[in-house]
Amino acid sequence: MGLESPAWTAGVKRFSHEAMATVFEVQALHPDATYAAQAAHAAFDLVDRLERELTRFLPNSDVGRINALAAGQSTRVSPSTMDCLLVARQMYDVTGGAFDVSIGTGLPSLELAADESRVRASTGGVRIDLGGIGKGHAVDLMGELLEDWGIEAAVVHGGFSSVLALGAPAAQEGWPLTLSDPGPPIRVLVRLARRDTALGASGVRKGGHIVDPRTGKPAAGRRAAWAVLPRQAAHERSQAGCGGPRRAAAAAADALATAFMLMRLRDIGALCAASPGLEAWVLPEPARSGGPPEALHFGTPGSS
Amino acid sequence: MEDGKLARGPMIAITLLRVLVGWHFLYEGIAKITSPSWSAAGYLKQARGPFADIFRWLAAQPDLLAAADSITMWGLTLVGVLLILGLFTRLASLGGIGFILLFYLCNPPFVGLFYSIPVEGSYLIVNKNLVELGALIVVLASGSGVFAGLDTLVHAVLGRKRKTG
Amino acid sequence: MAGDDEKDKVAVPPRPAGGRKLDRRDVLKGLSTVPALGLFGYAWQKQRQYEQAAAGTEQAAAAGDVQDVHVALLGAGAQGQVLTDAMLRIPGVRFRAVCDVWAEYNQRRVVNQLQRFGFQVNAYEDYREMLDKEKELDAVVIATPDFWHAPHAVDCLKAGKHVYCEKEMSNTLEGARAMVAAARETGKLLQIGHQRRSNPRYLHCYRHLLGEAKLLGRIVTVSGQWNRAVTPDLGAPERYTIPEARLKQYGFKNMHQFRNWRWYKGLGGGPIVDLGSHQIDIYTWFLGANPSHVMASGGQLYYDPATHEWYDTAMVVFDYDTPAGPVKAYYQTQTTNGSLGYFENFMGDQGTLLISESEVHAAKVYRDTNAPPWDEWVQKGYITAPKLQEAVEKDKAAVTDVRESVSPDEHKVPIVLKDPYHQPHLQNFFDAVRGSATLNCPPEIGYESAVAVLKVNDAIEAKSRLSFTPEDFAL
Ligand SMILES: NC(=O)c1ccc[n+]([C@@H]2O[C@H](COP(=O)([O-])OP(=O)(O)OC[C@H]3O[C@@H](n4cnc5c(N)ncnc54)[C@H](O)[C@@H]3O)[C@@H](O)[C@H]2O)c1
Repeated sequence: MGLESPAWTAGVKRFSHEAMATVFEVQALHPDATYAAQAAHAAFDLVDRLERELTRFLPNSDVGRINALAAGQSTRVSPSTMDCLLVARQMYDVTGGAFDVSIGTGLPSLELAADESRVRASTGGVRIDLGGIGKGHAVDLMGELLEDWGIEAAVVHGGFSSVLALGAPAAQEGWPLTLSDPGPPIRVLVRLARRDTALGASGVRKGGHIVDPRTGKPAAGRRAAWAVLPRQAAHERSQAGCGGPRRAAAAAADALATAFMLMRLRDIGALCAASPGLEAWVLPEPARSGGPPEALHFGTPGSS
Repeated sequence: MEDGKLARGPMIAITLLRVLVGWHFLYEGIAKITSPSWSAAGYLKQARGPFADIFRWLAAQPDLLAAADSITMWGLTLVGVLLILGLFTRLASLGGIGFILLFYLCNPPFVGLFYSIPVEGSYLIVNKNLVELGALIVVLASGSGVFAGLDTLVHAVLGRKRKTG
Repeated sequence: MAGDDEKDKVAVPPRPAGGRKLDRRDVLKGLSTVPALGLFGYAWQKQRQYEQAAAGTEQAAAAGDVQDVHVALLGAGAQGQVLTDAMLRIPGVRFRAVCDVWAEYNQRRVVNQLQRFGFQVNAYEDYREMLDKEKELDAVVIATPDFWHAPHAVDCLKAGKHVYCEKEMSNTLEGARAMVAAARETGKLLQIGHQRRSNPRYLHCYRHLLGEAKLLGRIVTVSGQWNRAVTPDLGAPERYTIPEARLKQYGFKNMHQFRNWRWYKGLGGGPIVDLGSHQIDIYTWFLGANPSHVMASGGQLYYDPATHEWYDTAMVVFDYDTPAGPVKAYYQTQTTNGSLGYFENFMGDQGTLLISESEVHAAKVYRDTNAPPWDEWVQKGYITAPKLQEAVEKDKAAVTDVRESVSPDEHKVPIVLKDPYHQPHLQNFFDAVRGSATLNCPPEIGYESAVAVLKVNDAIEAKSRLSFTPEDFAL
């Protein structure tokens, strides 16, 4: 995803930081550059802390311990990890298993006891990888932290694939954003102006592939997919008893973008229709003959 | 090779093969028995291919799963011991073939299927499971237990009641 | 069953119709593969021993009925939050109170976190008020800035509480001595937060690799570092600014100093005390001796000296007279480039131990080519089998093959920490409170460590080599 740069963006201060095998960036509109830098670095400290909890490469991370659980064992995780797992589970349910952090090893057999932040495995051998939702989760929490710091207009992203637009620049309807065909050739497909909205992107990059956890087969026929979810909509979902934390918009969008690479178009349409504010774009692989494909759009923009 | 008989050299080689396969089975079984947390569930849930649904269904039935777990760990151990000793070799070989066939079908390296946990080596249709299965077919066909193994003794003792056809 | 073999013609002598007696040949053939089973049994037993040795240090204390310990957190900043996370995983820890002067932010965050786990805790700004009101407390966990450690720890001990106090024990030796005295006087426990002292990886290396196996031979040199990349000074959300009067009351000039106390004289000790103290403590522990001399060079090379009163860079050499002989130990900490992070490296005449709390380095030992073989320790599971060096084809005619130099055998130390970094040290403290363990870092050790570390700043300032006398470490 991209951010367009009209003239007023001169006042935007940009800070970046490497974490979770990608680059996180904060672009903030604030008159005091030092203060904005301190806020951004407080957000990056938070990402580093989250990474230590969510990485599967450390045996003493929350995920490391979950992945070592035998049948009947349980482990306590940090409340934020629990939040992330709750969203992951919710996304597993709404996408019919197309988004599955356990890649088919049995997510439903992890029992999530939110009140004591404890994860119990009813069978052994479940292995989770929060790579498809962790960046969004981090971006959500960074957004909350920046708001706490009084930064009202900012864009936060993790590797461009998980984006949160906070507020909007003065006199603008929203932050100008683009969705592009990863190419080749790279070309802008959609232009959006959004505020208080999370966006997630997923695609087939060079050599990589997305494996459908339901069948073990790689995704075929799609080049990229995007999910767009206003924070307010995520908030209402959690209020409506759907569970999950208050404002997990970016985590949900991150997960849904992956699922939209795999779900049937008609299921994507149905999910968007049933979830106010949720929008999806799906870019099919180009047909053998004919021009470059256009992105298919589902859902209607929420009021923000 | 004449009249289905094998010369001494090949028979020694096949016996060695039998002991090696037996060793592998025995340790696979014992390692599972001694690991308190082992369950086939993880493996079954990773099932791929045409029979994936059956295996996954099995993993979701607690009673059946418990039975499958015990059958697997004790079965592998028993087959291993019998193959090493050369006792009831044919039955043990058949049992071993059955186990391997199940493992193979659970995660067959068919075209287009990916195992979500990375595996060593590169396989297309034939993997090491299938090779071990082949080894057991050789053992089964050769009657190596009677050449070198307790089947020799069983034969000698029970030989009286058996009439060669 | 034997019916399976009916068609068997292989090597079976034709049987007489009435069966036959077993001859010696049959018995030999029948039993010929039994030894393979024996061999298997032997190999399996070896494998079990190996697995048990590897798992040995990981055995967590059995979770049974544990006695509750009522705890307050004093100082709910970055480290207070890390300790809280770790304590939430320890059975029997009951949170009663949280004290922090930053009521608007840190205090509120930890109180909310604890509420999520069902602990209704009382929040305090003034620790004396907390000690007056909370009569049920067994223990206080202190994670305030260094200059508060002595008053906080001494008053808590005198109020009859056991104390876990973060390192650096104190920013002054008088403070540290007062803490030792208070612990001795009251008979209460005082654990200093050098958490590597309870880390299973460090304990394994100390007990087994250095103690039992003496893998390194005679240690002659040590090096270590903690390098950090440039970071901006810490700030605070504007809306949670602490009123000036309260800042003054607790010894801070302004918000900037309150957030960045580490860099100020009289409050913290700069990077050498913040980072170096962990690792210099390991030097002393592993060498089994306190240093005899220190020389150091450092300075304010990069950051604004007005807001960074302590040295941002320090390069230090300690001399040790260990029971095995003299040792020189180098340490560096700098805050402008994070290359290679942090580790300690012990070098003896038979091998090298590279160890770190971080998983990036974990722990590895390298065998000197002239050292006796380490197979025994590999079999015992103390270290992994070495990473194989590529085999060289021996050319009979040549004495040696000239090529790129070979590196020594690298063995990993197969100990993984499955809990958050500070959990074992806290666990050790709570076990000691319950009477089932002794402290891994009692105040006497914290004091010796403080003597060695605080002198580095003196040496940088004096620009000369300073010596320690045994009296310096005596209490
Ligand atoms: N063992 C380790 O690995 C490790 C790591 C980091 C820090 N530490 C140690 O932990 C301590 C705290 O460090 P930090 O990084 O959390 O600092 P911090 O500045 O983030 O937190 C200090 C907290 O103490 C509070 N505070 C200050 N004076 C107080 C007082 N008089 N009464 C009550 N509360 C008071 C502050 O409001 C703040 O919330 C230091 O001693 C530091 O050396 C240890």
